[in-house]
Amino acid sequence: MDRLESAWQQTRREFLTSSASGLGAAALTSLLAREGVMAATLDASNPLAPKLPHFPPQAKQCIFILPAGAPSHLDLFDPKPKLHELHGQKPPESLVKNVRFAFVKKETAVLAGSARKFTRHGECGMELSDFLPHLGTCADDICLIRSMHTDAFNHHPAQLMMTSGVPRFGRPSLGSWLNYGLGSESDNLPGYVVLTAGRGSSGGVSNWSSGFFPSTYEGVVFRSTGEPVLNLNNPPGVSTDMQRRGLETISKLNARRLDQLGDPEIASRIASYELAFRMQAAAPELIDLSDESRQTLDLYGVTRPEPKKFSYRGGGAHVYQQFATNCLLARRLIERGVRFVTLVHASWDHHSNIDEELGYNAGMADQPIAGLIKDLKQRGLLDTTLLIFAGEFGRTPLWENRGGNQGAKVGRDHHPFGFSVFIAGGGAKGGVVHGETDEIGWAPVKDPVHVNDFHATIMHLFGFDHLRFAHRFRGLNVRLTDQGGKVVRELLA
Amino acid sequence: MEAEGLAPSPPAPRATQIRRLYFDLLGLPPTPAEVNAYLDDRQPGAYTRLVERVFASPHYGERWGRHWLDLARYADSDGYEKDRPRPHAWRYRNWVIDALNADMPFDRFSQLQLAGDMVADASVEDRVASGFHRNTLHNTEGGTDKEEDRVKKTVDRTNTMGTVWLGMTVGCAQCHSHKYDPLTQREYYQLFSFFNSIDEVDISAPLPLEATRYNEAKAAFDKAHRPLTEQVARYVSEQLPAAQQAWEATSPQATVVWRPVDPTTAKSKHGAELVKQDDLSLLATGTNTVADVYTVETVVPAGEPLTGIRLEVLPDESLTKQGPGRADNGNFVLTTFRLLTVPTAEKAAAPTEIPLQGAKADFSQMDWPIAAAINENPDDGWAVKPQFGQRHVATFELQQPLVVDQETRLTFVIDQKYQGKSHNLGRFRLAITTASPPHALEGFPSDVADILAIAKADRSAEQAERLRAHFQTIDPELAKLKKAVAEHANLAPAESSVRAQTVVQTSTARQAKIHIRGDFLNQGEPVESLPPAVLHEARARGETLDRLDLAAWLFADENPLMARVTVNRIWQRLFGMGIVETVDDFGTQSDPPSHPDLLDWLASEFHRQRFSLKQIQRTIVLSNTYRQSSATRPELLEVDPENRLLARQSRRRVEAEVIRDMALSVSGLLVPQLGGPSVRPPQPTEYSGLTYANSAKWAVSKGGDAYRRGLYTFFQRTSPYPMLMTFDSPDSTECCAERSLSNTPLQALTLWNDPAFFECAQRFGRRLLVETADVEDSAEGLRSRAALAVQLCLARIPSDGELQDVMELYLDQQRLLASDAAAAKSILGKTSLPADASASELAAWIIVGRTLMNLDEFITKE
Repeated sequence: MDRLESAWQQTRREFLTSSASGLGAAALTSLLAREGVMAATLDASNPLAPKLPHFPPQAKQCIFILPAGAPSHLDLFDPKPKLHELHGQKPPESLVKNVRFAFVKKETAVLAGSARKFTRHGECGMELSDFLPHLGTCADDICLIRSMHTDAFNHHPAQLMMTSGVPRFGRPSLGSWLNYGLGSESDNLPGYVVLTAGRGSSGGVSNWSSGFFPSTYEGVVFRSTGEPVLNLNNPPGVSTDMQRRGLETISKLNARRLDQLGDPEIASRIASYELAFRMQAAAPELIDLSDESRQTLDLYGVTRPEPKKFSYRGGGAHVYQQFATNCLLARRLIERGVRFVTLVHASWDHHSNIDEELGYNAGMADQPIAGLIKDLKQRGLLDTTLLIFAGEFGRTPLWENRGGNQGAKVGRDHHPFGFSVFIAGGGAKGGVVHGETDEIGWAPVKDPVHVNDFHATIMHLFGFDHLRFAHRFRGLNVRLTDQGGKVVRELLA
Repeated sequence: MEAEGLAPSPPAPRATQIRRLYFDLLGLPPTPAEVNAYLDDRQPGAYTRLVERVFASPHYGERWGRHWLDLARYADSDGYEKDRPRPHAWRYRNWVIDALNADMPFDRFSQLQLAGDMVADASVEDRVASGFHRNTLHNTEGGTDKEEDRVKKTVDRTNTMGTVWLGMTVGCAQCHSHKYDPLTQREYYQLFSFFNSIDEVDISAPLPLEATRYNEAKAAFDKAHRPLTEQVARYVSEQLPAAQQAWEATSPQATVVWRPVDPTTAKSKHGAELVKQDDLSLLATGTNTVADVYTVETVVPAGEPLTGIRLEVLPDESLTKQGPGRADNGNFVLTTFRLLTVPTAEKAAAPTEIPLQGAKADFSQMDWPIAAAINENPDDGWAVKPQFGQRHVATFELQQPLVVDQETRLTFVIDQKYQGKSHNLGRFRLAITTASPPHALEGFPSDVADILAIAKADRSAEQAERLRAHFQTIDPELAKLKKAVAEHANLAPAESSVRAQTVVQTSTARQAKIHIRGDFLNQGEPVESLPPAVLHEARARGETLDRLDLAAWLFADENPLMARVTVNRIWQRLFGMGIVETVDDFGTQSDPPSHPDLLDWLASEFHRQRFSLKQIQRTIVLSNTYRQSSATRPELLEVDPENRLLARQSRRRVEAEVIRDMALSVSGLLVPQLGGPSVRPPQPTEYSGLTYANSAKWAVSKGGDAYRRGLYTFFQRTSPYPMLMTFDSPDSTECCAERSLSNTPLQALTLWNDPAFFECAQRFGRRLLVETADVEDSAEGLRSRAALAVQLCLARIPSDGELQDVMELYLDQQRLLASDAAAAKSILGKTSLPADASASELAAWIIVGRTLMNLDEFITKE
């Protein structure tokens, strides 16, 4: 049994009490004796203390971009000339016979080719749509999977599937698993940070939930307006100096109680307060972009003009700036040792008006994500940072005809049977297109990758055997990959 | 414990005991007075008396109700993408609180929640209890398969029953059988079958007290109301005939007689159809898209000069809000009313406009008077908002009587040019008169006039009745009596608008089938409702087993699980850890109990005490084991770090709701009102923006509702109240038998800076100064203030060292704030300064309060 697993098999309390029998007054005295109470206390009382995985990892940190609502694979990642040819015709009966749709009426459904032009990019010649010109310049770093499939066809369950491995509530999200397994390298920021842009997603906070793990491992939302973290700022009139003075008294009084009762949980509390105090300085510094060069801001498109006509579904005014800023903040978080960053944007649920609105969203996402990949690369962070772009499912190769009618501005319905995602860096093989869907983009015909397989592969990149990385809950050994999962070796560099 | 050579810990200090007991049983801190009363009670049995006092508090139901709501996965919204609010969910919560306060035996408590709709003569309360099953998630996202959602709920109901009453994770067998699990997949769907024939209904559910109050008030009202209606009846039978006779004897002919117009044609300019009704009124149907002009024609024979026109606008079932207009709200706007005339003999003659004057109406909308219908301005007019769905009358005088010396065609033009909108008349009737003005709005209908012209003896029974009916509408004395009845009727007590979510059994049972690999579309063999074979048999009251039988089966003497699971869970609430550590899993794969004999004994006691929850809790909290100190000892840490042997009490952070209640309580802000709808205390405005398309609106509760206990906070599943989640409240998506317990920097930030907690600190500072107003400004005075501050927060006397720390902090901050008036003012915020106190003093005590409320001990049960 390796070190980490044995550590897991003990509860935190056991770990503490068996390894630190001397923890108590003595430890605290030395703790307080250091530079005020400001000293880093990465001791055994910290559940986020760094830990090692099963085997040497490729990836150490992760940025998960969740385009909630499900982007159309057919208009972004998966060119289908044949579908274009068959445009307007009825789909083969065999395809739609046993299929449920959210809104498509089968009787009158027709195939819908994409209005997009696909061109080849990079040395690998990866084909991407004309909505993604900037990502095209990163093609040789991108590992594109065109054969994804999932189990759920409504947004919320499918988002949970993508973020936590099952289409149900109650499981920890990927970021929680990694923080639980690896701890955090940051001593002044949370290990799991969430940044949102646009409208709320269907899954809301459940997309970064810690499930049955304590909330220590839950994603912390950094906010786009007001203070960057909820309750970060002191109340009016309370200066940093007063706060530090108050913290000293809190620590002193807590230490007295610890001395009397010997409960290690009190030491944890002291550590939490110190981290909170450090966060109060670190978080505002994090979001202050004044030390970023003009060149960097332009790389991400932070100061690009917003489109004249904004899309309500895409989030409305300022969302271009917001998303670009979030991508830049993701890099800053990675630089500061944060384990897992989730970028959420909603919504990509293009039931109608897909050409215009997907264009709006892609225009928002393309340059900042490409900028992020390039920036991570030039700073030497891409090798150990895994970037993921994955929605909850794809969209139908059929026009949506809700109520039997096809509206003037057409769109596509939910499609769990085949879709595309991409990853980059963190040990993923660049310039690769993995898997294929059939000629109308309905379902994988080569190398299908289930969401559980996708997660197994991510776990592998982080040095975990997904079958062994489990937590006992309600009498079951629960893992991120639930009952399935197979590492897709072809994606590994 | 003895086997390990360990001795139990000594009893906790008395102050710790009372605080522990208050947290465990009420979820609130004791007041200093309550602490002192207990410390001063030196007679034997002081602790027992304390326990009895605490059990009698109604806050007990809130504390243990919240534990139960964790299991019941209670929330105030549907969950999933749309996450719609559930305005009636709280009614079930009220039931839980009341039932626990009344110490309803646990078998009855369970039976009603599992099958309250099926018990004999189910009362409203019994049905409300069945709302237990309504706490499941509910998906209303567009395109959701309704059957799939129903199956998901049924699965959740099955799994919840398994966790709550059997301590078994039955859900493992949903997809397939597991080798070591006591339940096969078939058995899973047999359990599922018990819940498969549930339908959801919302019912009217007045609160018990409300219902009683209503019945009493209604009885009192009826008693007062009856004489008034009797008076009317008496008047009608005894005095009305004489009055009518007197009226007939006067000269009724002097009153105006309205002769209905029988339209020869009726046209709409924009395609509506005006259909003549039996009563000669016109009903508009068909198109109603723009402002319309109606033209109605009639022919009158030669006769007396015409002097006036009457327009009645009438309600009709076919109209929105019953009209009388065709606008969405039932309104109309009559912008211009005109009369044109031409003798029928002169075919080609141009019509003559007859000018009108003296318009009157029974009712006009503010700023839309009837006079506007005949003035020069084409944009104003007559309308009747908000008196929709009833008849209104308007009359117009002809400026000059119109001499009708030959048959004449009259043309009425009804123009409704209101901003181009479709505010057109829906149903109306025209009448004319030859009486001399001024005209009464009502006057006589022509048929009444005709009857009056007949000698009394010659009138038919029908005619006599018509006359009588008419007189009843105009007799002033009767009108007065009826008005009294109507006015009193306004005082009638309102029936409760409270509703509840409940379930009922479908009229025909749904056949349950095995879902192959848990897929509801892939159905296998049909199954019947049956409990797992590994347990005892169930007895059916009828032909097949149902939910009510299941409830009885759970509480059968042969069931080894229910009592053990229940007492274990209670133990876990009181000790921080169950005797079986996995409180939600008594399956064969669970951990063995630490004290099997204790578990068995408690289970048998629970049976013996007829499933009284308070009694079994009383047994436990009176035990020496419960009353031990929670301090660790080196030898305990060595041998029993997890405290499985119970050689001390456990020390645990309290739950999210209790933390909120504590801060509100020690500051004096808490509004301890019991029960009622959920409330929305302030939260950051953009927080609900995390929900789908900002769907969850958070309208902050006003007044005292902002300071209610945490369990009343509206639980929006996709954006729960942040403070609750930061302190590990369950997300209420499924049954939660045990909360996780984290310790994070976000918790520190919340207690430090959340405006709700800072407001508590502000009020705490003020409270401290007010309660020590008589204390001198001396070192001794400072000392007693600091001691009270600690006592309020921690319910104990501080040590000298602790006092020293607190006083130093105070002096430090006070000195700083005395030289920074602006900072002191900001810290005070809206807090008013008590007499004789300075801003820097109050601000420094606020900081002290804020510090004490951030101590580990403050949020910990020791």
